[in-house]
Amino acid sequence: MPQPVYLDHAATTPVRREVFEAMEPFYGPRFGNPSSVHRWGREARASLDEARERLARCMGAQPDEVCFTSGGTEADNLAVFGPLRSQRAKGRSVIATTPIEHKAVLAAVHYAARDGVIERMLPVSSTGVVDLDQASRLLDESLAVCTVMWVNNETGTIQPIPEIADLVKSRGGVMHTDAVQAFGKIDIDLRKVPVDLLTLSGHKIGAPKGIGAIFIRRGTQIDAMFHGGSQDRGRRPGTENVAAAVGLARAAELAVEEREAETRRLGELRDALEAGLLAKIPDAVVHGRGSPRAPHILNLSVPGTDSESLLMALDLAGVAASSGSACQSGSVTPSHVLRGMGVRPELAVAAIRMSLGALTTPDCVTRVVELFPALIAKARRLSGAA
Amino acid sequence: MTERVLVAMSGGVDSSVAAAMLVEQGYDVIGATMKLFCYGDDVPDRPCCSLDSINDARRVCETLGVPHYVLNLESAFGHDVIDNFVSEYAAGRTPIPCVRCNTFTKFRDLLRKADAVDAAWIATGHYARTSNGELLRGRDRSKDQSYFLWGIDRSVVRRMLLPVGEMTKPETRARAHDLGLTVVAEKVESQDICFVPDGDHAKVIARRLGGDTPALARGPIMLGDGTVVGEHDGYARYTIGQRRGVPGGFSAPMYVVAIRPVDRAVIIGPREALLGRGVIAREMNWLVEPMSAGARVEVQVRHRASATPAEIVRVDSDEIELALEAPVSAITPGQSLVLYDGDRVLGGGFIERGGAAARTALPVLAA
Repeated sequence: MPQPVYLDHAATTPVRREVFEAMEPFYGPRFGNPSSVHRWGREARASLDEARERLARCMGAQPDEVCFTSGGTEADNLAVFGPLRSQRAKGRSVIATTPIEHKAVLAAVHYAARDGVIERMLPVSSTGVVDLDQASRLLDESLAVCTVMWVNNETGTIQPIPEIADLVKSRGGVMHTDAVQAFGKIDIDLRKVPVDLLTLSGHKIGAPKGIGAIFIRRGTQIDAMFHGGSQDRGRRPGTENVAAAVGLARAAELAVEEREAETRRLGELRDALEAGLLAKIPDAVVHGRGSPRAPHILNLSVPGTDSESLLMALDLAGVAASSGSACQSGSVTPSHVLRGMGVRPELAVAAIRMSLGALTTPDCVTRVVELFPALIAKARRLSGAA
Repeated sequence: MTERVLVAMSGGVDSSVAAAMLVEQGYDVIGATMKLFCYGDDVPDRPCCSLDSINDARRVCETLGVPHYVLNLESAFGHDVIDNFVSEYAAGRTPIPCVRCNTFTKFRDLLRKADAVDAAWIATGHYARTSNGELLRGRDRSKDQSYFLWGIDRSVVRRMLLPVGEMTKPETRARAHDLGLTVVAEKVESQDICFVPDGDHAKVIARRLGGDTPALARGPIMLGDGTVVGEHDGYARYTIGQRRGVPGGFSAPMYVVAIRPVDRAVIIGPREALLGRGVIAREMNWLVEPMSAGARVEVQVRHRASATPAEIVRVDSDEIELALEAPVSAITPGQSLVLYDGDRVLGGGFIERGGAAARTALPVLAA
């Protein structure tokens, strides 16, 4: 079989060599606990502080505004639940979000709603972008938290976060954005964009799984989710994962350094892939087309096919893709994001997400442009026969 | 090029050994576990999607070095199998969901997935065999599962591989150990219906139809002559031949002999009242050239019953009537009637009713 093609970078990415090397000493001689008073502890603390400073610089933040977490899900949960108590004390009990958020946000919001919080959905257009006029009407003085992802993980659409953040701040709410798919793809400068909370994840940018971070703007009142020691000002008790924090900082630096070149490269590859597939499958529907999109995600549906069968056939041919949403069992379920955009169910069940990244070369695109239409033709023959 | 086979893997020992044997035989094996339902919040130890069995199947495939996929057939299964299960109980019948799962889910929906990945074959861990396009009983009569397979499309039989059908259960377990499939080798066999986790089918009915459905409401227990002798808490909790929940105090043990949804009556009678010498079945499906009236066959009216010689009395479009050579007890509407010729499975249908069989060459007793 020819070289496999990995087109699932939005699910996870390989750890970069530079990142691995930066982390290695912390699995060896520099094993100390940053809270210890002795030399080992000091070394670890120095490395952790440095990682925090470097990560802060990558997004225009102050070091004390960066809090390391176990990943994106923890950061999202902290963003949803953290501000609630102080906001509700001010009579603010609405969480505003969109139907196309990651489950880490949506499930947290639904859970908060069981406890008296009012959930308010900001509608998105059929191309997957929040409608600012409607958002302006729906965001009012009762707003506690507004959470909207910067780049959608299934379709790649970019949300107007600066505009939404302005609205939220003018209403006195706390603004959170999940930037897990945005970081390294679009310019993020928190000196210019008034978000209060921002989520990052390591394994989407070449750092390991199990590390993430949340930016918490100075002055934002947050209750911790965990209780214990005073690590990270008590916002995130528990001995810090020094190695992973160092790895995340290194990966973030590389992502920022390479951002312009890499987004251009990925954008060209994605456009070639999209054009190549549309040329051979003219009735394929590209989700989010017409809206600003991050350069690394292509999500399309071909009428008369189903993603479950296509993903199997692709995998057996050596191509890794995704439907964009998988449940814990690994089975394919209809995407809530596409439903949220009003995509017809028979089209939503056919969605295939291809996400590009470090492993993607022009050869990968050529292979898929050859292979995918053939699989589609067969799937259609079968569904026509059924 | 080696031939590709899609193996339906439940995470149990039978389908795991089936997959392993096919790998040994040189097939290009693909494992697939069907996600058919969610237990929901009711069963805390099985959070969603019977995840443990999916994981077991995945681990077996990993051991065998073959790909494994989880296929979400929840909505089709809910419609074809669970909805029918519930409506059958509501109609006073005793459904047999495994038959419909085989007919629709495994050997129709899963077969389409096999087509999608160019698999010429589809395999399961059933104790049954195929030969020259015909379906046969499993070699081990005590494990034979052919009773559940009569509903599949005849053309599908030629694409089926049933590797464990040649073995006994102990042989299958021994093979599992030999093959290093320790994860599943000693797994306890579940007797439950997969989507009725604790054997309480009334719970499933209540969830789908609401707790106030007539099928689960109080009703009379009566004798055949209409004398009310007690009360029950839902006719859907009863099946033909059942003794549990039937009042005592009669000269002989009494059994459920009929269920009548129209007045929610559960009718009881002595053992003799259960005997029938005729049976009518519907949704008849043939796995051989369709047979006609006058043909002699053997029939089985429940899993693990012995086969009884019978004669076909009448065959309409999809309905069949048979006269039985010897009386058979508790012919239960909703269960399957399967026609055999020795080991050959000729076809089957869902039992409409037992008892009288008119227009027959054989003497028939009315129940």
